[in-house]
Amino acid sequence: MTISIWRYSHLALAVSSFLLLTLASLTGVILSFQPLSEKVYAYRADKFDEITLAQTLPVLKQKYPEISELSVDANQFVQIKGTDANGEKLSAYIDPRTGEILGHPEKKSAFFEWVTALHRSLFLHETGRFFIGLTAFLLLLISISGTILIIQRQRGWKRFFTKIVRENFAQYYHVVLGRLSLIPICILALTGTYLSLNRFGLIETPQVSSKIDFDAIRSAPEKQIEDFDIFKNVKLSQVKTIEFPFSEDVEDYYTLKLSDREVTVNQITGDILGEVKYPATAVFTEFSLDLHTGRTSALWAIVLAVASGNILFFIYSGFVIMFRRRRNRAKNKYTAKESEFIILVGSENGSTFGFANSVYQQLIANGKTAYMTELNAYKDFPKASHIIVMSATYGMGDAPTNANHFASLLHKYPQEQPVHFSVLGFGSHSYPDFCQFAFEIDNLLSKEKWAVPMLEIHTVNDKSPQEFGEWITTWSQHAEIPLTVSAGFLPVRQEREEVLTVIDKTEVSGPGEDFLIRLRPKRGTKFTSGDLLAIYPANDHRERLYSIGKVGGEIQLSVKLHDKGLGSDYLYRQQAGSVVRHARIVGNAHFHFPEKASPVIMISNGTGIAPFLGMIYERRPGTDCYLYCGFRDQQSFSVYRQALDQNLEEKKLGGLQVAYSREGARQYVKDLLARDETFVADALVKGGVIMLCGSLAMQKDVVSLLENICQSHLKRSLSYYQARSQVVMDCY
Amino acid sequence: MSNLSKAALFLMVLTFASPVSTFAQGTGTSKYKCMIQMTNYMGEGAYVVISLINSKGAYDKTLYVLGSDKKWYKTLKEWNKFYAKKPSNISAITGASVTGGDRSVNVFEIETSKINAGYKLRFESAVEDKNYNVKDLEIPLTTETLSGKNEGTGYIRYVRFSPN
Repeated sequence: MTISIWRYSHLALAVSSFLLLTLASLTGVILSFQPLSEKVYAYRADKFDEITLAQTLPVLKQKYPEISELSVDANQFVQIKGTDANGEKLSAYIDPRTGEILGHPEKKSAFFEWVTALHRSLFLHETGRFFIGLTAFLLLLISISGTILIIQRQRGWKRFFTKIVRENFAQYYHVVLGRLSLIPICILALTGTYLSLNRFGLIETPQVSSKIDFDAIRSAPEKQIEDFDIFKNVKLSQVKTIEFPFSEDVEDYYTLKLSDREVTVNQITGDILGEVKYPATAVFTEFSLDLHTGRTSALWAIVLAVASGNILFFIYSGFVIMFRRRRNRAKNKYTAKESEFIILVGSENGSTFGFANSVYQQLIANGKTAYMTELNAYKDFPKASHIIVMSATYGMGDAPTNANHFASLLHKYPQEQPVHFSVLGFGSHSYPDFCQFAFEIDNLLSKEKWAVPMLEIHTVNDKSPQEFGEWITTWSQHAEIPLTVSAGFLPVRQEREEVLTVIDKTEVSGPGEDFLIRLRPKRGTKFTSGDLLAIYPANDHRERLYSIGKVGGEIQLSVKLHDKGLGSDYLYRQQAGSVVRHARIVGNAHFHFPEKASPVIMISNGTGIAPFLGMIYERRPGTDCYLYCGFRDQQSFSVYRQALDQNLEEKKLGGLQVAYSREGARQYVKDLLARDETFVADALVKGGVIMLCGSLAMQKDVVSLLENICQSHLKRSLSYYQARSQVVMDCY
Repeated sequence: MSNLSKAALFLMVLTFASPVSTFAQGTGTSKYKCMIQMTNYMGEGAYVVISLINSKGAYDKTLYVLGSDKKWYKTLKEWNKFYAKKPSNISAITGASVTGGDRSVNVFEIETSKINAGYKLRFESAVEDKNYNVKDLEIPLTTETLSGKNEGTGYIRYVRFSPN
């Protein structure tokens, strides 16, 4: 199952009702113009709300002796029926103050009648009414499931109206308009459902009528109708209809049908003969009709028109979203058992599949056996040499629905052979738990014995093609598979390459030792510690990346000299004054020195110390820095010792801990951290930042240690802090 | 001139002055105001047709039709047979349908000669997806019934008349 129960219901409901819903919304939009078309006739009296029956009835009775009925419609137009002086049938809109005829009711528009019948019953009478009622109910359920999806997407109802991440037109406006027209659509659906239930008698609305005790009717004292108390108290605006006495017989009476009750009045004395309240359900039915049709307010009618129009848009955009997702589904050429490259995807709404698919296609095009599936389908992959995990995060840093069992599956199916893995997280910095689930997967994989980290975890913010392209480039370099990145994902390669002048370089006695090299970029070049320097030693596609420490405005690299190493050899050959031409600076914002946080704990092994040297050198005042670094022996540390001692002296560095793996206690940097675990936990509580730079092997060790510290001291997972950039890493 | 011929002249003037004649081919007609009070049934508006029935029990004339949409006329089965056979222009004697609990007051004309002459008034009613009543109410056309209250058997609670 790739989608959550709410998403599934939302889709299933929409698919099952979209035909009728389209029809109902389309006719609904048209019908909302009916109240508007009626209101153009200005038959409504000024200050209508102030007119009482005592003001209007005597005038009408005098002017139209044969009046039989008065009615007030939703537009507050007053209509009378009866016969005129010539005995002809009379039906007219009148001014309730003067009795003057304003106009005659026109025959109801045949067009609106036709559309109304279609809207209510599809011309199928009761059967049609049933289906339309059902559609209204489904619309209600769609609105509810949609609301829940928005709440999930926005991470809580408090953030309901906060910014929405834009993925594409259909998705964005489906959500944006969904939020805006939610209330009118819910009202339409609710009132529509209610009216249907009522129509089928499922909600009981007993009709009431006045019972009159004819023996108790008095014929004295006679009063003028303008003096009847009831007529003085009742305003025309409360009235639905007034039935006039059929004859002058005392047993004939006035029947006032008001909005909430029916009152019968003696035509001679003005006594109230009877009064019955309408049941609440009847009043609510009237109110539902007002809300559903917009007949009482032109403004509301317009709101309803827009809301109905939106439903049409939702149907359209919903289908666009659905088809887009289906297109992203995997169609594997090879089976899981025979594939060397396994791509595991965690995605809530399917968009991550699009990225995964482009990688899958590339691998297949390169003649590789690749298999793409969701994280929940993880099992043993006997031929696998690489696992690529691409995952989004859902809700409050949780797993997407198609990845929620991955953790237990990973534990259940250890791979038989060593497998390289690389994790790519998709997310948005608009949310607080940026890529948390991806960090979690990376940490879980790090703990597995068979899992060999190939790359540092990469993240892609808001589907950035650059960031995705960077990951592809790095991955293909490591896997040595030339992935030609598809045009849409192509990272913008800096056209202008940096020209760097070598200032200084330390000497080593042989391969395996570290040297420092300082390079001066052109004036005005922007870079900072933590950025990367890409060097093209042979001026071809081969790229070598080095972490930059910015010291004295210059680029300082820390390089381990490899035997026949392409990059290290090239750099070691440089002398003071020589020029490095084929290089460029790659921004690496996630690994910059934190702007405000304190303290900062820096952890490195080997040449991973490079960015920290620059950071400590340029440390902002008020931030406490602590460095934990690991080296083979005193000898390999010696190249850094002088600078660090000076930093300590100048109080730029609060503490320095060095672990030697081949000397003395034979410690690794993680052992030092384990010793100081309370300090590490405290730092995270205070909002401090832990920075990690060095080999992936060291990272693997430190990550599992940090995970333990977080769980036991802070009752949280490490990924929680990673998602909040409190634990950042740049390993290789 | 005798009083009788004066009256006749006056009536002649009325005939030509008023667009709708109160006389037809010299035969006297009377106008009656008729109130139909409906029961509190649930459902759509009722279609009601008021017809004059001759002594043989056959339709003689349509007096009034409550309900203006022709597509429902076939639900008034018996009357519709007569109407289909002898179509007449009923637009002047057609009004709106009536819903449960409501009343409808209309005016129709009856040839005076047919009162107390063995004719009957029939009120026939039908409601969408509900029962059809051939004789919701059928009363002899007499001076007595025209002054009283007549109880219906279907959707009609009662009918009252008054001379107009």
